[in-house]
Amino acid sequence: MSAAVQSSSRKSWRLATGFAFAALFCAILLGGVSAWLLGSVAIAGLSATAFTFNFHIAGALIRFFAVGRTAARYGERLAGHKAALADQVARRAELFAAMAAAPAVRQAGWQLGDDSRLADYLDDVEDLDFARLRAGLPALTLACGLAVLIAGSAVLAPLSLLPITFLLLAILFAGNRVARAGAMAWGEARSLRRGGASRLGAAMASGVPLKAEGAWNRECTEALAAFSRADGALLSLRRMQAMFDMIGAAFGPVAGVSVMAAVWHAGRQGTDLLAPMLLAFSWLALGEAMNGASRMLVAVLRRNAARAEIGQWTRAADRSEFAPDNIKPGLLRHGALQRRAPDGRSIGTPISLLLARGQPTVLVGASGSGKTSLLKQIAGWIGDDAFAAGDRILSAGERRALASLVLHDAVVLEDTVRANLFAGDVPDAALWRALEAAEMDGRIRDAGGLDSWVRQDRFSLGEAQRINLARAWLSSRPLVLLDEPTEHLDEAQGERILERLLARFSDRIVVVSTHHASLHGASAIELRP
Amino acid sequence: MRSPAASASAHDPAASAPDAFEALATAQRLAKRGLRRLLCLQVARTALRLGFAATAAMAVGRLVMGEPVASWLVPVTMVFLLAACVAGFAADRAQAFAESTVSIALRRLAGKRLDEMPARRLQSLSVGSVILSMQRHPEAIAGLVVGHRAASAMMAAGPLLAAAALFLVSWQAALLVICLTPVMILFFALIGDAIRRRADAQERALGRLADQFADRIRTLPTILANHAASGEEAKLARRLEAYSDNTMGVLRIAFANAGIIDFFASLSIAILAVFLGLGHLKLAMIPGFSNLALWQSLFILMIAPEYFAPFRRFSEQYHAKAEGQAAAAALNRLMNAEPVKAKALPALDRLRLMLPAKGLVAIVGPSGSGKSTLLRRLAGLEPGVAPAPGTRSLVAEDIAWVSTDAYVPEGMLAEAISWNAGAVARNRLEDAAHAIGLLDDTLLPGGLDARLDQGGANLSGGQRLRVAVARAQLSGRTVLADEPTAKLDRETAEAVRSVLLEISRGRLVVVATHDRDLAAAAHLTVDLTDSDAVEVAA
Repeated sequence: MSAAVQSSSRKSWRLATGFAFAALFCAILLGGVSAWLLGSVAIAGLSATAFTFNFHIAGALIRFFAVGRTAARYGERLAGHKAALADQVARRAELFAAMAAAPAVRQAGWQLGDDSRLADYLDDVEDLDFARLRAGLPALTLACGLAVLIAGSAVLAPLSLLPITFLLLAILFAGNRVARAGAMAWGEARSLRRGGASRLGAAMASGVPLKAEGAWNRECTEALAAFSRADGALLSLRRMQAMFDMIGAAFGPVAGVSVMAAVWHAGRQGTDLLAPMLLAFSWLALGEAMNGASRMLVAVLRRNAARAEIGQWTRAADRSEFAPDNIKPGLLRHGALQRRAPDGRSIGTPISLLLARGQPTVLVGASGSGKTSLLKQIAGWIGDDAFAAGDRILSAGERRALASLVLHDAVVLEDTVRANLFAGDVPDAALWRALEAAEMDGRIRDAGGLDSWVRQDRFSLGEAQRINLARAWLSSRPLVLLDEPTEHLDEAQGERILERLLARFSDRIVVVSTHHASLHGASAIELRP
Repeated sequence: MRSPAASASAHDPAASAPDAFEALATAQRLAKRGLRRLLCLQVARTALRLGFAATAAMAVGRLVMGEPVASWLVPVTMVFLLAACVAGFAADRAQAFAESTVSIALRRLAGKRLDEMPARRLQSLSVGSVILSMQRHPEAIAGLVVGHRAASAMMAAGPLLAAAALFLVSWQAALLVICLTPVMILFFALIGDAIRRRADAQERALGRLADQFADRIRTLPTILANHAASGEEAKLARRLEAYSDNTMGVLRIAFANAGIIDFFASLSIAILAVFLGLGHLKLAMIPGFSNLALWQSLFILMIAPEYFAPFRRFSEQYHAKAEGQAAAAALNRLMNAEPVKAKALPALDRLRLMLPAKGLVAIVGPSGSGKSTLLRRLAGLEPGVAPAPGTRSLVAEDIAWVSTDAYVPEGMLAEAISWNAGAVARNRLEDAAHAIGLLDDTLLPGGLDARLDQGGANLSGGQRLRVAVARAQLSGRTVLADEPTAKLDRETAEAVRSVLLEISRGRLVVVATHDRDLAAAAHLTVDLTDSDAVEVAA
């Protein structure tokens, strides 16, 4: 978090806290003082003191509290959201960096590329973002308000502390129960949802076979039943909340009644009762502020779950990507490379690899033979192998910096076309040349040019693939790894574009994976599982 | 033969019009009973709270004025209070229960709808959005039709009850708060309009930046592959900041909404306290505010905030409304997705063919000539004329489908092979798995006990296909195989061919294939190459 952002967020939090205290203070006193005023004037009205009663100060105070409560609440909401948003900006930028370093990103099948997983992840991030606003701030002010009123009760009506303490203990007990059992229910709901999602995803992916064999209904129903059981777990959480809120709702009025009962019991009368009445109505006002307090507990338990989940992603992060001083290896060699699957399993027997500049290498093999994994291994995305490059050794981290890995499942960012080409400050003409080479220039011109805003769902798979190939065209890295570059393209177009790319990369090390067609002039490596 | 397209939604209770799924209307109907119960409880809670306020005010007022307090008053006060809390508890529970009931019922109806959907349409849906819809949208819709609906109904009932209670003590005080309401509503309307305009302006200016964080997380591998992580990080921070600045602009107005309710609630207390105070001092003779007993003025003071509380609760439900409506729209869109137009294949419609009871039948022809469609027609997945073995058309229970997208449940390889095939002896499983080369696959260590992820996520297409072949062999059913040897290496393709041939000795095996070797081994070949004349060669 940058220092400026940090200090501005801290300032906003201080402001929000101040407003929150002011709002609670005004709310409590508005109720208390109003009641006190009515009591005083009613007593004064019985005698001649009515004409000397200083009504204006009391009236002004009440008006002040009324306006103060409104203004402070508004200020609290505004400053609180401002602080939370400032934190959010900083946290999300940090989180993006941490996620970028997470090993899972470079392995097979990016899970957060999936809509439903991404939505779950975003929920978690939001639970983190707003926990302080939803739980921390109100809990702090409530606790202070409680402390003040308890102190007041101890002075004015000591006996009332008995029921107040009893109820407070009940609240703590119930709160503890909600926190524990609620966390379990929430965890259960999460895992049921995830289980149902993966089951439904699997069924959707096998829709035709399942329908043909008459098994779709069973699989789909079971997946949906998991979602519904998750709803059930949430229902039990909400029931616990209801219990807690019931005790919370009773607290303020019971405390107020206790105060009055205690002073009555002590035998006080008349004007002696005015101060306790102020206190009793203050308790009522505090009770209003405690409505729905269970939401704070839920915000906390959701934050804890979210933190654990997000920690899973960013654990063991590794950000090393050192660019070795501008080297252009002519040869990349590994005598006995043990191929590895993304999860670290070894595949087949070690192979010998010799990649030379100007001599494209083609990886051929059936689906599942490990072509993508080998490309990622060469690119330094998987494993920790060292390759020889002439007289030096290139580590995985160094190769990561040198390689342009053209993924077969690359996607389109929601941004301008220019940003999507990742070419930095390259002149427009060069960008258009790249789009022409990938036969995407017409389509982009129709869409509105380089600065038009684009998103994934505006393009077909083939068009997204061609944007990806235009990115490859613009890359200047000495090691180019193309994974199924002609996938989703019709045969002739794929061949044309690939030919152009290979001509452009004639002075670099190029590896192409494909499950059909061979390239002339290329050496082929056939992979077997 | 079944025709799912025709029977779709014929017995769908959710839709009055045969083809439209109306999530919101359905949910409203489902919510009816729960909502009534919830409203009763909420009204009871409000009434009991008013009772508590009345009795508490009476006790305190008499106490302060030194008047005798009836001995029944204090216990009655406590009973009102506790009953109000219990009613609140019951209302919360009723709301939670009603919402989850609606959510579950709505999900079940949506699931039924998916079940009736033809395979082709199901396939055209995006998997992610189906999961998203099934998982979350029913809950959001339930929140709209139960919680939000109850809050808006209480906005009428709550203030009415409070005004009635005030009326008992001082009709002028009741009139005062009632008169404040239209002013408040006028402000509401003005501000609501301002919020909408502001939000629209923001949407136009910055709507693109709303989902930037989500988008960058989604596209992370692409960003890394293009060495753009640090650049994107800086850009993201900038955009998040710009977006949050603008969000504050909207919030500034949006919070004014809640501020207005606060203001009127506070104002009413202040006005009433001052009027009532003047009345007690007998400094001013305001009709309705003079000559009241202390308990009466305390009562008025306690009731006034209750009058405004329902407005406040409703304004907090703003999100529930927006979310619920968006969810209903998304669910409707998904459930009412346009059927995907099947390509016209006149050749298939003219095809008159009697399939043998056993043997290998190969459907050949270039891509797009209708091989897969013919296979699906055989399985009854698509309407149209389909050949059948003998006189009886195939039903789902007769079919074993073999393709690279075969279903693989989570668990061990043995379970995946015996899935949907009933109880199978271990040694038969082993034979089947061995014949297709699943046991000596180095990528699948552990033999029959190899661990498979949900949906076979850790399997290649070839491995999944072989699981399906082994399953088909054990099942004793008619085998329909879609491109069983494509994308396989030579040896595996050979193994698949020989197992299919072996199965065809006892049963009918129909394959749609490009594989010449497989077609050559067939007893009957259906060639769809020429769309005018389908060639059938024995």
